Amino acid sequence: MSDLTQVEKYIRVIDLAKCIGCGSCEAVCEFLYGTPFIKVYRTSMGLDIPISCMHCRKAPCIEVCPTGAMIRDSTGAVYVIPSKCIGCLACLYACPFSIPELDHRSRAAIKCDLCRDLRNKALDPACVAICPTGALIYGFEKEVFTLAKLRTAESIAKARYELASWRT
Amino acid sequence: MRFTFICREKLSKAGSRVAIIGAGPAGLGAAGYLACRGYEVEVYDKLPLPGGLMVFAIPPWRISKDAVLNGAKELEESFGVKFILKTKVYLGNVVRRDEGDDFIEKIMPLDKLIDEYDAVIVATGTWESKLPKLPGVESRGVTTALAYLYKHRIYELGLTSRRPGDGERVIVIGGGHSAIDAAEQALNNGSYPYLVYRRTIKEAPAGVYEFMKAASAGINVIELASPMEIVAEGGIVKGVKFQRMKLGSLDETGRPKPIPIPGSEFFIEADAVIFATGEVATPPFNINEEGILNKLNIRVSKEGNIEVLKEGLSINQRVYVAGDVARGPSRIGPALGMGLQVARKVDYILQARAGKLALVAR
Repeated sequence: MSDLTQVEKYIRVIDLAKCIGCGSCEAVCEFLYGTPFIKVYRTSMGLDIPISCMHCRKAPCIEVCPTGAMIRDSTGAVYVIPSKCIGCLACLYACPFSIPELDHRSRAAIKCDLCRDLRNKALDPACVAICPTGALIYGFEKEVFTLAKLRTAESIAKARYELASWRT
Repeated sequence: MRFTFICREKLSKAGSRVAIIGAGPAGLGAAGYLACRGYEVEVYDKLPLPGGLMVFAIPPWRISKDAVLNGAKELEESFGVKFILKTKVYLGNVVRRDEGDDFIEKIMPLDKLIDEYDAVIVATGTWESKLPKLPGVESRGVTTALAYLYKHRIYELGLTSRRPGDGERVIVIGGGHSAIDAAEQALNNGSYPYLVYRRTIKEAPAGVYEFMKAASAGINVIELASPMEIVAEGGIVKGVKFQRMKLGSLDETGRPKPIPIPGSEFFIEADAVIFATGEVATPPFNINEEGILNKLNIRVSKEGNIEVLKEGLSINQRVYVAGDVARGPSRIGPALGMGLQVARKVDYILQARAGKLALVAR
C-alpha cells in the first residue's frame, strides 16, 4: 500500500529512563489544542507514564478507517482529516494503545499529529521543544535510533564506571 | 526547554510592555508566549539566574540546569526578553524574608511595576517551607527540603564556595517529590539517610515507585511514623523522637488519616533533620497587611494563595497570577500551563484595549 514507502521518515520516541513525569509535554499540548494528545498517567505503582500516539509504521487505524480520513503525511505522522471522518471510532477499536478520541464539536476522531501546523513552520512538535529532560526525542529515524542507543551505551558505561570506583 | 515553541522569531511589535515576576516555569512559559506575540517582556527574579526551582532546587539527575538556562538564554538573545535578576518585587512596610533571598541586591515596589507596565504577571511560586510546630524544631541542624536542595544547587552553580556538609546522619520527613529529592541528595553526599513518612508509601504523593527506588538505592524508608520532638543538646540536633501511626478513616484529602499509636515512641539519632512537609505561596506583597491588599484590591485565600478569577486574572483586573503562587505547590507542567494560559489572556486583553480586537464576552 501507499502507506509504506522507502523514504526515511521522522519519528518521536519517549525515553522513559529520562522522563520525570513533570507534565510539561501535556501542558503545552493542552494549551495548543484544548485537550492534551500527550498525557502523563499516574499508574498504580506510582510511576508516571506519558502516553501519546506512536505513529505506527503499519498503522492499524489507517488500515481500518472506512473513509480514508486517517492518513499519514509525508514526514510519517498519522493524522485525521476531520471533513472525511464519520466519527465511527473504528480507529480506536483497531488501535492497540487506545489513542484516538472523539471531538464533541466536530464529531470527528482527534489525536496527536505531531503538531502539523508547527512543523509546517519548521518548528518541532511542542512536546519535544518543551521537554526539560530530553525524554522526548524527535528526528529522522536513523538519528533517533542512534541517539537512543548512545544513551544506552552511556548508562552502561556509567554503571561500569561506578562498579570500578567501588572496587578501588 | 524551548519556551518559544510556537514561533521561530519575534514577528511584529505589539507595542506593549509586560512585566513578569518570577522566572520559574510559569514565568518563562508566559515570557515565551508573549515574546512570540511581539511584546516587550521584562522578567524580574530574586535569584542570580532564571529557572526558579528547576535550577535552584530540582537535582541535576532529574533536570539538567543547562536545558532550562539555554531556554532562558534563547528568550534573551533571540527574542529580546530582558531579565532583571537579583531583584525582589515587593510591596509592604517590612520586606518579607523568604527562602532563596540571599542574592537580592534591589527591592522593586510592586505598585511601581503596575504603573509602568501594561500588564503584570505574578509568578513568584512557593518559596517558604512549612515547618511543623514541634518542640526543638528551632534547633541547629533542622532545615527544609527546599533550603537543603537550594544549598546544593548554588554550590554546583559556583554561587557560593560553601560546600554543603557531607556524611551527616540525615533524616528526611515527608512523602512528596521534595522528600525523595532531599533523601537522594543526602545519599549522594555519602550518607545513608532515613526517609520517614506518616502514612504508607501507597498514599505518598511521590508514589510507590519512587519510594521503592529510594529504598533499593540505600535510603532507609520508614512508613507510618510521625515526628513528636526534635531532640537537641545545647541547641544542636541530636535526633528525632517519632511515634508509630496506624491508618484510620479517610480525611478531607481523601487519604486515610494517620492515627498515633500510644506508647510506640522510638528515637533515631541524626545531625540533620530535613522537613519536606510542603511549601506556601510567596506573593510579592505582605498578605497580612490589609492596607496593601485593599490598595491593590487583591484577595488572598486561607492557604495564602492569591485569589484569581478565570484564567489567572486577579480580582483587581490589572495584575495576573500564574503557577504555584496561585495554586500551591505542583509539578512543572501545571505551572507552565497556567503561565501560558495567563499569557494568552494578557495578549487578548491588551489587544482589545488597543482596539485591535473587539472585546467579546466569552
